[in-house]
This record gives sequence, C-alpha cells and structure tokens, in this order.
Amino acid sequence: MGRLVAEKQKKKVSISLCLPTLNEAKTIAKEIVIMKSELMTRYPLLDEIVVVDSGSTDRTREIAREYGADVYEAANILPQMGQFRGKGENLWKALFITRGDIIVYLDADIKNIHHRFVYALVAPLLLYDGIKYCKAFYDRPIAAGKNIVRPTGGGRVTELVIRPLFSLFFPELTQIIQPLSGEYAGFRDVLEKIPFPIGYGIETSMILDIYERWGLDVMAQVDLEKRVHRNQDTKALGRMAFVILNTFARRIEKQGFIKLNKQTFSEMIQYNLVKSRYQADIFKIQGVERPPMIDVPEYREKFNIC
Amino acid sequence: MDSYLEKLPSMVDAIRAIKEIIIANIVLIGQTPSPTFKEEKRTRIFMERLSEAQVDECTTDAYGNPIGIIRGTSDAKPPIFVVAHLDTFFGEDVDHNFTVKKRTITGPGILDNSAGVGVMASLPQILRVLGIRLRSDIVLVGDIQSIGKGNLRGIRNLLKTWPTPIRGAVCIEGGELGRLNYYSDGMRRCEITCSIPPTFRWTRKFRPNAILILHEVIDQILKLCLPQKPRARVIIGMIRGGVEHGEIAQDAVLGFEIQSDADKMVKSIYRDIKDIKNGISHEHEVELQLRTISNLNAARLGFKHPLVKSATEILKKLELKPVSVSSETELSIFLYYKIPAVTIGITRGDNYHLEDAFIKIEPMYKGIAQLIGILMAIDSGVCDEQ
Repeated sequence: MGRLVAEKQKKKVSISLCLPTLNEAKTIAKEIVIMKSELMTRYPLLDEIVVVDSGSTDRTREIAREYGADVYEAANILPQMGQFRGKGENLWKALFITRGDIIVYLDADIKNIHHRFVYALVAPLLLYDGIKYCKAFYDRPIAAGKNIVRPTGGGRVTELVIRPLFSLFFPELTQIIQPLSGEYAGFRDVLEKIPFPIGYGIETSMILDIYERWGLDVMAQVDLEKRVHRNQDTKALGRMAFVILNTFARRIEKQGFIKLNKQTFSEMIQYNLVKSRYQADIFKIQGVERPPMIDVPEYREKFNIC
Repeated sequence: MDSYLEKLPSMVDAIRAIKEIIIANIVLIGQTPSPTFKEEKRTRIFMERLSEAQVDECTTDAYGNPIGIIRGTSDAKPPIFVVAHLDTFFGEDVDHNFTVKKRTITGPGILDNSAGVGVMASLPQILRVLGIRLRSDIVLVGDIQSIGKGNLRGIRNLLKTWPTPIRGAVCIEGGELGRLNYYSDGMRRCEITCSIPPTFRWTRKFRPNAILILHEVIDQILKLCLPQKPRARVIIGMIRGGVEHGEIAQDAVLGFEIQSDADKMVKSIYRDIKDIKNGISHEHEVELQLRTISNLNAARLGFKHPLVKSATEILKKLELKPVSVSSETELSIFLYYKIPAVTIGITRGDNYHLEDAFIKIEPMYKGIAQLIGILMAIDSGVCDEQ
C-alpha cells in the first residue's frame, strides 16, 4: 500500500471512487466505511468517494451521506442533457462530477467488500506506464438465501453470451476472464473518449471500444479472489443478455464484421406462468448511448479542455 | 483521577470522528469466521489490523494467542492488559457478511465478541487521536479457545507463561454497555450422556428411553436443596436426543452448569449430581456418563477496590448506570492470578447469539471512552496499592 501511495504521489495523479446505486441501503455503508477507513484515512490512496444514485427509494443516499461520501442524484447532473435510468448513465455522469485522473467503478452490492477491490484495480494503472484500463475477475459464490452462500455459480451471461461472441469475433478478448464484472478502473483520458450505453451494455462496450482504439496492451486484469453478490433470476439475466447482444451487434456492425440489412427490434417478450396461464412480459431496450464525455461542452469547460 | 474524568465526555466526540476506522475493524474482523478451536483466520486478520494500526510489537504467544503491544513511557511500570476473546459461537458455514446501516451493524457473533475485538484493534489509533500515551505498556490480547469447550484455555495459557507482573486488566465484550463485572462465581459446566445399547431391543419388553432417563435426572436435580448462602444454582441449559417422533430415543445429552460464589458448594453439588447419576444408572440399568466440560474458581475484587470504584465513577461520568453481576469470562482467570481486572461491555445490541445479532453504533463511542478512562485509571495507580 505504501508503494502505491508513493507511486501515486510521484505521478501526481488523483483517484476517484464511484459507486453507482439504485436501492443499495443494505450494502452501501459497508463499502464506503471500509474504503474511507483503509484508503483515505489510513493510506491516502483515494481522493474522493462519490455515489451516483438513480433515484433510490430506500435510504441509500441518506446512509451514504452519513458515512461521508459525496452523493449525487444522476438526474441532477447535466440535467439539460436529459435523464435515463441505468448503470451506464450513472458511470457516464460520474465522469462529469468526479475530479480524479483515475476513476474506479465498483458495484454497490458487494457483500464481501474489501479494500483490495480498489487497490488491486488501481495498482496496474499506477505501477505500469502502458496500462490505461484495469478489469477485475474473481470467484463468484452466490448468496442464495438468508445466510446461505453457494460456493460456485454466477457468470452465466459471460459463459453463454459474451465468451462465445468474443471467440467468434475477437478471440484475443477471451483472455479477459470476467468481461462483465462490474469492477474496473481507468484513466480519465481514456474513459472520457468512449461512448457509454446507459444500461447493461456498458461493460461490453467499454472493452470493445478501448480494444478498438488503444488495443489489448493497455488493459490489465486483476484477481480479487472472491465476490459475493445477490443472485439474479434467469429472466433478469435474459434481459441482460438481450441488451448486451444489442450493444455487441452495433459494435461489430460498426467495425465491419457484419452488415445488417434490416433494422433489429428493440423488444423482448418473456413469459410468466400465472395461475395456469402464460402471461407475456415485454422488455424494451432504450438503446440510448451517451456520447464520449469529452464531446460535451459543459465538460470541456469544467475541465478546461480546449 | 479527576483530570481525566473531566475529559471523558469530550473524548466521545473525538472517538466518533474516526468511526470509519472502528467500524471497518469490526467488520473486517467480524466477517472472518472464528469458531472455537478454529481461530487461525481471525488471528491472522486481527494481527494484520494491529500491524496496520502500527502497534509497537505484534506477535503470537506459544499457545497461538495474538498479541499487540503499545509501548508506554516507563520501563518500570508493569503492563496493562486489554483482552477480548477471538472465538465465536458460529461455524464457518454460516454467512458472516455483516450489514452496516446508519445506526446499526448486524452479523453473527458481533456482540460476542467481534465488536469487542474490533474496538481493541482500533485502540492504537484511538489513543493517538486522543493524544494519550500511558506510562505502562498496553498489551492487547485476542485470546483463543475461550468460550464453551474452549474453557478459557487461551487466556489460562497466556497468564501461566507471562514472564512479568501485570498491573491490571480490562476484559472487553461487545455487549452490554453498562456492565461492570468484578467478580466471578465458581462454575462447573457438565454433560450427562445417556446411551441405550442396541441389545436392549431384543432382551427387554419395555426398552428404556434415553430422553426419559435424562428427564428423571433433571427431576432429581430440581429436588436438590440449594442454600441461599453461599449462593448456588444449577442451570439446565441444553438437552438434545432421539431421532424421530415415533422411535424410542436411544441417545440423549443433558448440558448443565453448577454456579456458586463458593467453590466448596460447587464441588458439593457436583458430588450430589454424580450420586443422582449413579443411582439412576443403577436402577434403570442404563449407562450414564457424567463429563466436565469446563470449570472456574470463584474469585472477586471487593466493591471497595480502587479499580472498581474508579470504573464506577467513570461509568457515571459518562451517564452510564453500572450493572454488576458475576461474569465467568477471562476476568475469572485474571482474578485467580490476583491481577485486578474488570469486564466491561462496549455497546448495546440484541439477538445476542443469533445470526442477526446487531449492535448500536452510537453508544459504542461512550463504551470506548469508558475503556480509555479505565486504562487511564489503572495507569494512575488504582491497581498498585493492594
């Protein structure tokens, strides 16, 4: 830790931690407390902890403030650009309100949070000059119920959707063990130059866009050992897969791998068995992508970019 | 003493200002499972936390108890011990991830005793923030093998082998804030096991039922005449046995504890229960085993002892009402070795030994101020005049 802090000071960089939230009252305090204690008070590695909230209806924002995070409602950041609900939206807006040269993104629902989640992600960025973006991987036991932790599981969308797609189109990227992990860090001068899909597609697009523009050599991945998270049901994963496929299709079309002769559709129907009858549940992709933040005039003005 | 008594209320605010350090220690230590006899992982984490807090020395004793030392300013003064047991009642298979909210922290074992250990691991930083350096060294001990069948082995071994005199000790428990224990009853914790051999199935028309045999044992224990003085009681604390509803139970176990403020009385009641066991075993032709799991000698400081008087004043200064009952914890072992000691609670909470046990965060700051006050009292000499 001492070496990381020394390297940070030598390179004169600042580091921001961003936690995107939507109803995370159960887990947010622990993340903030541990990061603040270990990486701000004990070792001055982090310069700020910022929570960007999508309009939680529990006490997420109140609790986050109580433990000393800077808390923002996504809707109040760049309001003139409209508002969408989604993790990608929060991460994009975090670029506007954070100050750091390095931004660390962590999901706010990590039950076994530990400060290694941050220092491990930051280490390659500080210690290796060529590295611009760092991604986490880990074992993914699932919290299957009250006080029950299943030792394996998770990563189903990765194995069923992303890994086959990477293998088909970008075999080099299959080296990334968990491309959909919600924990990553990057230099601002990279993150500000890529577009951000507002929803689930953000992890996929980020990897593809950084790979296309800067290549694989700027990416690192670190082993965070284990991450316990809430399990999602198959239908939720299906919706996630739908969004990711859409994001992926746009990217491979743009890069010339395929040519879609017709417009794709933006709705997915899922079925629920209710009292012996199947009921359709329609999920619609918003399909919005935020432009690279560096193209936003307010951002350029705030950060004095000519 | 008056000088630091006056400072106690303002200490509460200074301690609150570093709440994230204290809460992070409680969480990082408490989330590491530590069932009795399997405390290695928590020992490692606890030592890491002490090392991060820059204690002057950090090691384990020959028995495996982790120890941190905060050096004092005087070589001449014996050390003061702060002790919190490292083991909990929960196995490694239980989800130990804690939940932190605005006013509470919830998780298995937090009251007994992760909050106590987390606060102890924070002590070096708390003392630095408060600008306090004692004349005595402070020895921070996370003793292992304390509860249940552990029978306080960790602290017994540490004190048996500790090479120097000890000035005084404070034992800390997560709850309950306001407790001020300065005496321990004599105690003998036992199990009676009843096993019906399978041969009974074929040789007797009416097979004995292990549960009913133990029921008979309980019945006869309850008929024992126990004196008012010395105080004595038998707590029937645990019973298990049988396999299913429609089958005569072949095995059953009864757990009980004999408590008295006189060791002689504990022995006498134990002999009575042994006679009961032998009689029932003989009359019912069944095998009953009586086994002692742990025991403690009765020991006490007087209420007039300067340590007790000072601690009482400190609690009152913090607007806490001292509550004194006997405590069969590390305290007993210190008192056995004639080392003045008290046990205190750090905060309030509930669901003590359940998986959703919780502590309240705000009262903890007073609980810590109380600990600092007692350490300062010991350092000022309240244990030196006996």
